[in-house]
Amino acid sequence: MKTRLSLLALFLFTSLSLSAQEIKIGLVAALTGQSAQSGEAITRGLTIAIEELNAKGGIGGRKLVLIRRDDESSPPKGVAAARELISNEKVSVLFGGIDTPVSLAIVPIANQSKVPFMGVWAAGTNITRNGANPNYVFRVSAQDDLVDIALLRYASNKMGAKKPGLVLINNPWGESNERGLKAAAAAANITLAGIEKIEANDVDVTPQLTRLRNAGADALILVANAAPGAQMMKARERMGWKVPVVSHWGISGGRFDELAGPTAGEAHFVQTYSFFAKQNEAGKRVFAALAKNYGVKSPADVLAPVGTANAYDAMHLVARAIDKAKSTDGEAVRKAMYEIDLHEGLIKTYKRPFGPTDHEGLAPEDYIMVRFEAGKIVPVP
Amino acid sequence: MMDTYALLSAAMTGIGLGSMYGLTALGFYITFAVSGCVNFAQGATLMLGAVLLFTLQVKLGWSLWFAIPAALLLCGLWSALVERIAVRPFVQRQSDAWLMATVALGLILENVVLFSFGKDPRGMPASILTSGGIEFVGLRITPLQLLIPVVGFSIAFALRIGMQRSALGRAVSAVAQHREAARLMGIDVGLATTGAFALAGVFAAIAGMLIAPLYTVSAGMGTLFGIKAFAAAILGGIGNPRGVMLAGLILGVAEAMITATLGSSWTQIVSFAFVIATLAWRPHGLFGRGALKKV
Amino acid sequence: MTTRLKTLWPSALFVVIGAVAASIGNGYQQFILANVALTAAVGIGLNVLLGLAGQISLGHAAFYAIGAYTAAILATALGWNMFAGALAAALISAAAGAALSLPALRVRGPYLAMITIAFGFVVEQGIAEWKSLTGGWNGLMNIPKPSIGTYTFDERDLALLCVLLTGGLMLGFHRLHASRWGLVLRATRDAEVAAQSLGANLIAARTLAFAISAGVTGLAGALFGSLNGFISPESFPFFQSIAFLLVVLVGGVGTMSGPVLGALVVVLLPEMLSFLAEYRLLMFGVLLFIVLLLAPGGLVGLLQHWWEQRRQRDACVQTPQANAAFVDTWLRKAAQIHLEVQDVSIRFGGNQAVGHVSLLAAGGKITSLIGPNGAGKTTLLNLISGFYAPDQGHIRLHTQALAGLASWRIARAGVARTFQTSQLFSGMRIDENLRVAMLRGRLWEPGSKQQVDPALAQALLAWVGYQGDPSRLGGALAHVDRRLVEIARALAMQPDVLLLDEPAAGLSAEEKQQLGVVLQRIAALGIAVLLIEHDMQLVMGISDQLFVLDAGRRIADGTPVDIQRNPEVQRAYLGSPTTATPAIAQNTRNANHVAAPRGELLLAAQQLSAAYGTAPALHGLSLDVHAGEVVAVLGANGAGKSTLLRAMAGLHRPVTGGVFFSGHQIAHLPAHQIARRALILVPEGRQVFPELSVEDNLRLGAYRLGALHDAELQSLYALFPKLAQLKSQPAGLLSGGEQQMLAIARGLAAQPRVLLLDEPSLGLAPAIVQELFATLATLRTRGITLLLVDQMARMALTLADRATVLNAGQVVYAGNTAALENADVLAQAYLGSPPQAK
Repeated sequence: MKTRLSLLALFLFTSLSLSAQEIKIGLVAALTGQSAQSGEAITRGLTIAIEELNAKGGIGGRKLVLIRRDDESSPPKGVAAARELISNEKVSVLFGGIDTPVSLAIVPIANQSKVPFMGVWAAGTNITRNGANPNYVFRVSAQDDLVDIALLRYASNKMGAKKPGLVLINNPWGESNERGLKAAAAAANITLAGIEKIEANDVDVTPQLTRLRNAGADALILVANAAPGAQMMKARERMGWKVPVVSHWGISGGRFDELAGPTAGEAHFVQTYSFFAKQNEAGKRVFAALAKNYGVKSPADVLAPVGTANAYDAMHLVARAIDKAKSTDGEAVRKAMYEIDLHEGLIKTYKRPFGPTDHEGLAPEDYIMVRFEAGKIVPVP
Repeated sequence: MMDTYALLSAAMTGIGLGSMYGLTALGFYITFAVSGCVNFAQGATLMLGAVLLFTLQVKLGWSLWFAIPAALLLCGLWSALVERIAVRPFVQRQSDAWLMATVALGLILENVVLFSFGKDPRGMPASILTSGGIEFVGLRITPLQLLIPVVGFSIAFALRIGMQRSALGRAVSAVAQHREAARLMGIDVGLATTGAFALAGVFAAIAGMLIAPLYTVSAGMGTLFGIKAFAAAILGGIGNPRGVMLAGLILGVAEAMITATLGSSWTQIVSFAFVIATLAWRPHGLFGRGALKKV
Repeated sequence: MTTRLKTLWPSALFVVIGAVAASIGNGYQQFILANVALTAAVGIGLNVLLGLAGQISLGHAAFYAIGAYTAAILATALGWNMFAGALAAALISAAAGAALSLPALRVRGPYLAMITIAFGFVVEQGIAEWKSLTGGWNGLMNIPKPSIGTYTFDERDLALLCVLLTGGLMLGFHRLHASRWGLVLRATRDAEVAAQSLGANLIAARTLAFAISAGVTGLAGALFGSLNGFISPESFPFFQSIAFLLVVLVGGVGTMSGPVLGALVVVLLPEMLSFLAEYRLLMFGVLLFIVLLLAPGGLVGLLQHWWEQRRQRDACVQTPQANAAFVDTWLRKAAQIHLEVQDVSIRFGGNQAVGHVSLLAAGGKITSLIGPNGAGKTTLLNLISGFYAPDQGHIRLHTQALAGLASWRIARAGVARTFQTSQLFSGMRIDENLRVAMLRGRLWEPGSKQQVDPALAQALLAWVGYQGDPSRLGGALAHVDRRLVEIARALAMQPDVLLLDEPAAGLSAEEKQQLGVVLQRIAALGIAVLLIEHDMQLVMGISDQLFVLDAGRRIADGTPVDIQRNPEVQRAYLGSPTTATPAIAQNTRNANHVAAPRGELLLAAQQLSAAYGTAPALHGLSLDVHAGEVVAVLGANGAGKSTLLRAMAGLHRPVTGGVFFSGHQIAHLPAHQIARRALILVPEGRQVFPELSVEDNLRLGAYRLGALHDAELQSLYALFPKLAQLKSQPAGLLSGGEQQMLAIARGLAAQPRVLLLDEPSLGLAPAIVQELFATLATLRTRGITLLLVDQMARMALTLADRATVLNAGQVVYAGNTAALENADVLAQAYLGSPPQAK
């Protein structure tokens, strides 16, 4: 109780003591509920980047402050939170979370109020391609359409699949990929064995997999987060079905191998970054900070590494733009985003990451295919 | 058309899930019978059972023989607390706000667990219960899948026997059947009510522990499960324990069969529409009896 | 004008504050303001269902979604104007609400909650799946703002619009509350049965409530979509439905301003806590719980309570413009219409509750229906008023056949009634209670534009003798006033027939007399009055014709004088000592005449008083029971006999005065603690545990002792050999007599120091009563101390050492039984004194 009270006091204190000197960075993400760990991962990436920047004296002498709001994965809550951050807190930049619908709901507000909105997780295609001009929405994350093409290509080229079946989480993210995968399959002239939905709360998905097996699926393409993804792997194992599994990055949370059990390694999945591989300078720095601030002991303890990695890089990119613009004015920052030429990031070295027609920081060639092996994520050769 | 394999597989899925709906729903039955109220934090209690077992067994390394009773005890105490602070004060004022109050306590518990247990779902370590098994028409049936309905129905059976044979059980059924006459027997109705809530909590906790190895352990794992269990309780006719258990099974098997035949997109829509249609057809549930209209 | 201002200021205040806030606030504040207004609007819609119709919904997010999607689809796909879209949204939501009401009407309580929960899920998932129309999980984007001509609303305009809508809805709710619809809805909420007896059609009323509630919610949903610019199934989760319910519960159910206050808490509180980030939901849960605990009646209730404490309520008792002559004309029947019951029967399970009963209630006469408890009198009334359908027989009002019609149709045909336990609409004002009846519960009345005359209600109240304030709530009335108002309410239907079920119960002698006069005046207007009453003084005094029922059959009819002289009637009421087996007579006679030495004082009541709500039941009553005695408590129905036993056993609380058991004060103890001290009540109506076996019932009897030893069990079976044969049967399947034996055996299993027996012979066939009293005689010889209440007065007296006679909650006789053996004294206590010549 005492800690809770002091925590409350701390929040009150920090929110009151903000001075005009500081640059406010807003985050609207799921901090509670089913997707709570995504919000936590993003928070960690942003916090580490901000601490690094502040340690160097901030941007133009102004310190950065992160202000977070919980959207409870609900679009209306997200809209209210974004408006509050923009109108009341007067944040300079807004970061988004895991849920595509929440991001889609925030997009028009960001464009209207001319506040740059940086997506670091939600991969829905029309978040950045929203038709607005000027467009204030940027992204350092995967884009579903592109990931879907990569997944299908991997399944047919590497796994020899002729008739893959889709296992999709029954939510907006699953649906966004359903469209993407269907389009990719049509383009590649591949017939899909079937499309099955799984719920975040499903205890047993054997019926769905049975339908796919009966339909003749020779590979499974999985789009789901770690917990439901693990449910699918467990059902597959119980059925004794040795079908290859190619997965979107949802299962990349550190605990997928614990949740899915012995067959976890049989799922190959896409990733923007892995803390298991040989680390570059930024990787070492970030991991040290994670260890120091959050008690992370091994790469397996990093929850949802894509969230942390994307957020970390995106924060640094935004900082560069603010630095270049010498202002926190939204219009100026947006234009300065196009001016970033070279940035040594965690995921890669960014070269002119953004342009007036390209608001995606990452491209398909940045995706890597990985799998779990003995508690580690290792790249698939 | 469905083949034997698909049928069997869906049946196994449905029986396992359904017996847990039934077991959790028995908790709704017993509190409703004794007090006329239900605990909408029942889903959260299920989650608490699984989380406590994981914490004690995996994180703290307790033996299962200590971890299980300790977790059950704590869940029973928690449910008793819910009755004392979120149900009784409202019932005494003849207010229906206990509904909201139990929802609020469930919300509080879920969030407390979110911050103390952690935001990432955890998995129970593999054991003989989940890794072994027998092959049947190509489907591996794990010991746990067999254990779940066995435990579910054993508890339902034990509840029935216990209510009839033990002095305490008789006292509880006396309160359920005739509150006033029970007082005349010297039974402390208030205590019996608290006891019924505690028992309901224990049932939910058992369901949570049994389902944990099949599922993932997280703060949000009980929410939808609690609603489905409530649907089972209502579908069976909340005053009839056998009906409640059976309705849980029906609901679980129906869900699995809908998924296997129509496809998973239809599962939620059809199963909830089934609940509405059933209640329109039988307003007191499949196995419930309507009381004679009193004027 | 001033009263208007008094009631409508919250709406005006809300609009003014809202308008100011919308003008000076920033974008975020305007957005939140609009959200508060829309949430309040949904709350008002839900309040129609919850507050007026008394029906719960945990699925209102579904109607919100239906409204939002309807307007959004019309606007984005067909280019409709948002205003037209919102109208369509309201209509489609209302239709959905009416459709949902069909399954929902048949269920109640948790079953209704589940149907609405399921509906919410079906709609949420259905929207997600119907991708071609709804955009699936990814929702609909770029929903336009409303526009007029070329002018498109901005945020501020939209916030203003939402505030105006909610202000308007507040007024609308206020109007609805007082309107014909509101009256009928509230009547069905407060007393479903009474509302039907006044002509209200439950199905129509509740369907209407669902439709209005869903329509308002859909309208708000349309604006919600426009406000957000984006909707998806995740905008309408199950939790949102709970939040809407919360809005009403926190604010105050059934009040105009409640939903607005509730919306302020439910929307603003999380916003104010938003700095807590992930701890917000937790804090919200905690604060919510605290609000619920502190304000069980909602915030409006809390404010009202606080307000009324500061301000002395100005009593505004206006002198009623009692125009008795006008009421006479209004009520008078042009032609006298008879109610005819012919050969009617009904069976419940194995019990023939009413068998082949015929009677005639003539217009302009008072016809009374008497008989011992359980004779089937109230059942017959329920058959006439349509709450039960007879298995056979005819019921006619003049030429119209009534048997089998729905109760509300029978009511509208001209049959009004009152109830044994008062069924006033407790949450409605008294004049409103009457107005429901004047409308005959009709939601529509084609051709009738006439306003109900408010003066008429007041005059009618005065006419029956109610002197109080007509604006008081039905639930706040004193007992006698409830009875009078209930009669006035029945009369407000301008009935041809008035059925009265024990109207005099609980009234003082003076009040009874007053009631008699009123009933005679009613009959004098040509109305047929059919009266069930236990007070024989009253019945014999005012009745033109009597019918006597016993065990579901008509045993006699005639004038009061005929009935009082009828030996069969006397036997039905008092039981017959001559039919008691010689053994009992022998046994008890001996005991009676040999004055046994009194044992120690075991149980005593001293100056004991108790009341049911506002109706007093016991007035400073004293009584004592010594070890080894049998004491009989006698008196007419309603004299307070059962209340006395319940007060002693701890079931009736609170009481004033003393109850001493073995010298200890037990008047404050709860029932279970008294039972544990071995003061055991065998309650009226047996109250066995129906689903438990006979033997388990006996074991429960010994609960206070821990276990029932085999020897004890065998000795109980020896005393009740029939129970031994039935020991594994569920008690619910036993006959009435067997259940009574079981109830007594269960009481004995507790090894009582004093056994209280409440009406053991009630509803039993004569032969069974013989058997019962033989058993009680055996108990007596075994030295068990008994305090016996029984309507079979003579039977009870054969058993008792001493008797106490009660009347109106007071002891009128206490002492030896011999003095009571004079049949006339007892007959007078039970059947009333001979009538004065009429």
